[in-house]
Amino acid sequence: MIDQKKVILMTRMAYYEEHEGKRNVAIGRFFRGDYISWQVIKSLLASTVAFLVGLGLYILYNLETMMQDIYKIDLLLLARNILMAYGIFVVVYCVISYSIFSYRYAKARKSLKNYNRNLKKLSAMYEKKDSAAEGGSAER
Amino acid sequence: MRSLLEFREKVRLLYSKNEAYILPVLKFLLAFLTLNMVNGRMGYMERIDQLNIVLIASLVCSFMPSGCIVLFGALFSLLHLYTLSPEVALAVLAIYLIIFLVFFRFGSKDSLVLLFTCIACSMNIPYVVPILVGLVASPVAAIPVGCGLVVYQVLSYVSDNAQAISTMGEDEAIAKFRLVVDVILENKNTLILIAAFAVTIIVVYLIRRMSVDYAWSIAMAAGVIVNLVVLLVGDLKYETNLSLAGALVGSILALVMAKILEFFRFCVDYNRTEKVQFEDDEYYYYVKAIPKMAVTAQSKRVKRINAKRSESPYEDEDYEDEVNGGDSYEEDEGRSVVTERTGLGRRRGAGLFPGRGRRSVTIGSESGAADGYEELEDLDEPQVYEDEEYYEDEEE
Repeated sequence: MIDQKKVILMTRMAYYEEHEGKRNVAIGRFFRGDYISWQVIKSLLASTVAFLVGLGLYILYNLETMMQDIYKIDLLLLARNILMAYGIFVVVYCVISYSIFSYRYAKARKSLKNYNRNLKKLSAMYEKKDSAAEGGSAER
Repeated sequence: MRSLLEFREKVRLLYSKNEAYILPVLKFLLAFLTLNMVNGRMGYMERIDQLNIVLIASLVCSFMPSGCIVLFGALFSLLHLYTLSPEVALAVLAIYLIIFLVFFRFGSKDSLVLLFTCIACSMNIPYVVPILVGLVASPVAAIPVGCGLVVYQVLSYVSDNAQAISTMGEDEAIAKFRLVVDVILENKNTLILIAAFAVTIIVVYLIRRMSVDYAWSIAMAAGVIVNLVVLLVGDLKYETNLSLAGALVGSILALVMAKILEFFRFCVDYNRTEKVQFEDDEYYYYVKAIPKMAVTAQSKRVKRINAKRSESPYEDEDYEDEVNGGDSYEEDEGRSVVTERTGLGRRRGAGLFPGRGRRSVTIGSESGAADGYEELEDLDEPQVYEDEEYYEDEEE
């Protein structure tokens, strides 16, 4: 006979595996430090490229005035300012990334714990069924 | 209301049964709508401004991840802009890159919110966006909404001034470039819209998460008011020539659409709210459970069971119930039992701890008329249609 509770549990677990479980399982394969540092490195690269694109936009936007004042500009100071802006942007972005991915990791672990609990529940259901079947055959 | 609930159940059932087909069709329609809008507003490159190209691209999007629609939309817009002016296309590409690299690192669903914002803006219903997004998403969604507003403003500005841009000479390449960047930096209208929408999304989100009754309705109303107030303050400060009538009509439309969304996402019966209190080793729990308003689709099953049991497994009651879905089969003679199971109707009285369902059993002779039937009530048979679902607010 079909065990309805088991079917419901299995359906829910299959749904979980199909949807958010996929991402969570991928996250759960990493240690916390590995996952977060990998994501922060990716954020560092993304923010560097974004900063370069933004810098390009800024230079093109102010190209006319920059070309006019090219001899008046203190290039060393400009470079220092750009580097400082880059540093602030990257640090702020990486800190935000760190907090978001730490939260995401904690959430995924919690969700996976729940999933594992369901797995254990399912396993207990099978064991119960097996022991009942063995008991039935022994009585005969 | 009952017929509406039945309609909702039918829609849900239809979707859950045919999800595998409906989802690609929806993606196809969304991609088709997006690309047609891009082509309709810009359409400078004739090669891609063709129905067959749009159809092929939409078809590709229908079985790809939803982010693909945004990618194709961006690609189409860049190609049109490149035909109009490479400098403008370069500036827009830089904006797309920054949005993609900085803001879309954290979520893949953000791209759909951006797309929804652009579509709503081009359909002249931008005020719908913060209310609906606040109701279904998290406050972080304010970022893609802001990006969507920027993208829409840039593209609409370029398409409105396409004539002027095309007449600009090659020596004005930097001026063309600056034109696009100025839309973001100088256009106060966009900045006010971004601020108003961000504040509205946060307000709507915070209120709808509260455990007060009618939280969704209060959230919508508060969101509309906050949105209007921020827009008016911005208008007073920066003189953006905000159309108050347009904003009011848009807000009313936003309320109507939010109500429709509420009907599908958060249709609960506050009259049957239950509050329970219990404790375990570590916490006290104050639980407020609000039952969802729902009906089961009307279904009537008539089952006839011969009193004279047959040896054949095909005439076993359970087997017949499963195989024939409760349909009757012909009997040669003897008494028959007719059970009728109808839809539960509104699940009143089911309560937090589901009670016992009802099944009426009618017994009569096969040859006799229905007049001779005797009605029995089997109250011990629990209903097993589905789990009762609740919205719960739990405070520890």
